[in-house]
Amino acid sequence: MSGQQEPSNPRSTRTPGSLRTALSEMPLGIKLALTWMLFIIGAAIYTRLDRLLGQALPLQDPFYQPFLFGEAKPVEGPSSAHILGTDVLSRDNFSRLLHGSWVSLMVAATVVSFGVTVGAVIGAAVGYIRGRWEAIVMAILDVIIAFPALVLLLALVSIYKVRNLTMIALVFGVLGIPTYVRIARASTLGVASREFVQAAEAIGTRRTAILFREIIPNILPALFAYALINAGFVIVIEGTLSYLGLSVQVPEPTWGNMINEGRRDIRQTVLPIFWPGLFLTLTVVSLNQLGDWLQQRVAVRSSAL
Amino acid sequence: MLGKVIALRMVRLIATLFAVSLITFLMVEQLPGDPILAILPPEALDDLENIERIRKELRLDDSVVTRYFRWVGDALQGDLGKSYITDQPVSDAIKDRIPVTLELAFLATFLAALLAVPIGAFCAYREGSRVDRIMSGITTTALSIPGFVAGIFFIWLFTLKFNWLPSTGWNRISDKGLIANLKTAILPAASLALAPLAINARLIRADMIGTLKEDYVLSARAKGLRDRYILMRHALRPSSLTAVTVFALQFGGLIGGTVVIETIFALPGLGTRLISGIYQRDVMMIQGITLFIASVYVIVNAAADFLYLALDPRIRRR
Repeated sequence: MSGQQEPSNPRSTRTPGSLRTALSEMPLGIKLALTWMLFIIGAAIYTRLDRLLGQALPLQDPFYQPFLFGEAKPVEGPSSAHILGTDVLSRDNFSRLLHGSWVSLMVAATVVSFGVTVGAVIGAAVGYIRGRWEAIVMAILDVIIAFPALVLLLALVSIYKVRNLTMIALVFGVLGIPTYVRIARASTLGVASREFVQAAEAIGTRRTAILFREIIPNILPALFAYALINAGFVIVIEGTLSYLGLSVQVPEPTWGNMINEGRRDIRQTVLPIFWPGLFLTLTVVSLNQLGDWLQQRVAVRSSAL
Repeated sequence: MLGKVIALRMVRLIATLFAVSLITFLMVEQLPGDPILAILPPEALDDLENIERIRKELRLDDSVVTRYFRWVGDALQGDLGKSYITDQPVSDAIKDRIPVTLELAFLATFLAALLAVPIGAFCAYREGSRVDRIMSGITTTALSIPGFVAGIFFIWLFTLKFNWLPSTGWNRISDKGLIANLKTAILPAASLALAPLAINARLIRADMIGTLKEDYVLSARAKGLRDRYILMRHALRPSSLTAVTVFALQFGGLIGGTVVIETIFALPGLGTRLISGIYQRDVMMIQGITLFIASVYVIVNAAADFLYLALDPRIRRR
C-alpha cells in the first residue's frame, strides 16, 4: 500500500514496529500527555464495564449518597475511602470523575471519527479530481465554517430539545466535518503532484484506487494531528453545554454538569468543581500537546518525502 | 487585482450572511409539528382564539419562501419579531443587552493585547531561553483551560478567598462610574481573555522570530542600533499587522464566547438573555439573538479580512 514512498522516508528504514524506539524518541511532555490520555480512556472503559457488570468492580458507586444512611458526612475531604473527597450530596468525587470521562470521550471520539472518515474521503476526492465540484464544495464549507459553532450548537440543542448522548455526539460530528475536509483537501493538493501518484497514473491505475491507496493513506497523519487538537476543543464545548445543563442530564455525571452542580455549593466545598476543572484542563492540554507533536512529525516527514 | 479580491470577499460575505439567515430561519421552521406549538408557551395553547389571532399576526399561512423573505426584510429593518413569552420585541432585548456584551469583548481584547504583545515579543527576542520555554508551557496550559472553568476559579479565588471583587452582577458606567463598572467587569473579561491571550502570544512570538531573521534586522544590528530599538521599530511593526488581524478575528469569537461567561457572572448581557430564552424555550428570542450574534461574528470576521488587506502592502501587491 505504501511501498512506493517508503524507501525515501528515512524513519521507516529502521526496524519497523519497534515500540521501544518510538517511545524513546518521545519528549517527556508527550509521554506524560500520552499516559494521561491512556488513564482517561482506561477510566471510561472501566466505568462502562463496571455498569455492565452491575457495579461488581472495585469502585465507589457514583450515585450513592451514604449520608442518607448515616454512613458518611457530606463534603468530606480526601480520605482512604474517598480519595478525592465527597460532594454536598456525599457522593464520591473520584468515582463521578471517572464515570464522567465517558461522555467527554464519546463525544470527542464521534466527532473525530466522523471528521477523519468523511473529511478524508470528500477532501481527498475534491482535492484530487479538482474541477467545478471542488469550487462548489469548498464554497459551501467556507460558509458553514464562518458560523460560530457554540452559538449554533446552543440554538440547535435547545430548539430541538436534544439531551441524549448519541444525538449530541451526532450534531457535533456533522458540524465538525467541514474543517476536516479543508485540511484533507489542502494535504491532497500537496500529495497529488508527487512522483508515486504520477507513477500510478502512468501505469493506468484507476482514479478511485489512486485515491484510496495512494492519496488517503498519505493525508491521514495530518488529519490525525488536527483530530487530536479538535478533540480537545470538542471536549471543552461539550463541557460548556453540560455546564449550562444543555447536554447529558444529571444525575448522570459529566465533567461539565459536575462543575454546574458544584457551583451552587462553592461556599461549602470547592473540590467538586476543582477536580473536573483539572481533569478537563489536563485532558485538553494533553490532546493539544499530542496534536502539536504529531503535526511537527508530519511536517518533518512530508519534507523528507 | 485588489478590486477583484475585494469583490470576491464581498460576494462571500453576502453568501455567508444569506446562509446564516437561512439556517436560523429553517431551524425553527423545521421543528416537527405546527410552528405555533413552538412559538407559544404551553399554557397559552388552550386559548384557541388567541392562537388564531397570532397565526394571522405572523401570517403563518403564507408559503415558507414568502415568510423567509419577509422575515429577512423585517430583520434588515431591525424588526426580529417579539417574544411570545415576555411580549418583549427581540430587537429591544438586543439593544438593552448589547452594551454589556460589547464592553466585555472590548475589555477582553484589550487585556489580551496588553499582555500578549510584550510576552510574544520578549519570547521571540529570547528564543529558546528558559524564560521562553516556561512561557510556552504557561501559554499552552492557559490555552487549554476552558473559559467557564477559569471564570469559576476566579470567582472562588478573588471573591471567596480574598474578597477583593464582587462575584456577580454588573454596575453600569452611567450609574456607578467607571471604577465600580470595572470592578464587576474585570473578572469576566479576564476569563474571556485567557485563550486569545495565549494564542496571540504564541502567534506574535512565531511571527517575530521570522521577522528577526530578516536582512533588514541584521543590517540594523550591524549599524549598532540598540536591541530594544530594533525590537520596537523594526520587528514589532511588521508583526503588528498579524496581531491586529488576529485580534479582530477573535473579537467576533468573543461575542459568542461571552454567552457562558455572562451566565457564570450573572451579567445582564446578550448571552444571558439567550440562555434564559433557551431555558424558557422562547423560540423567537433564541432565533433572533442567534441571527444577531452569528451575523455580527461573520461581519466582524470579514472586516478583519479587509483590515489585513488594507494594512499589509505585501498582500495588496499580490
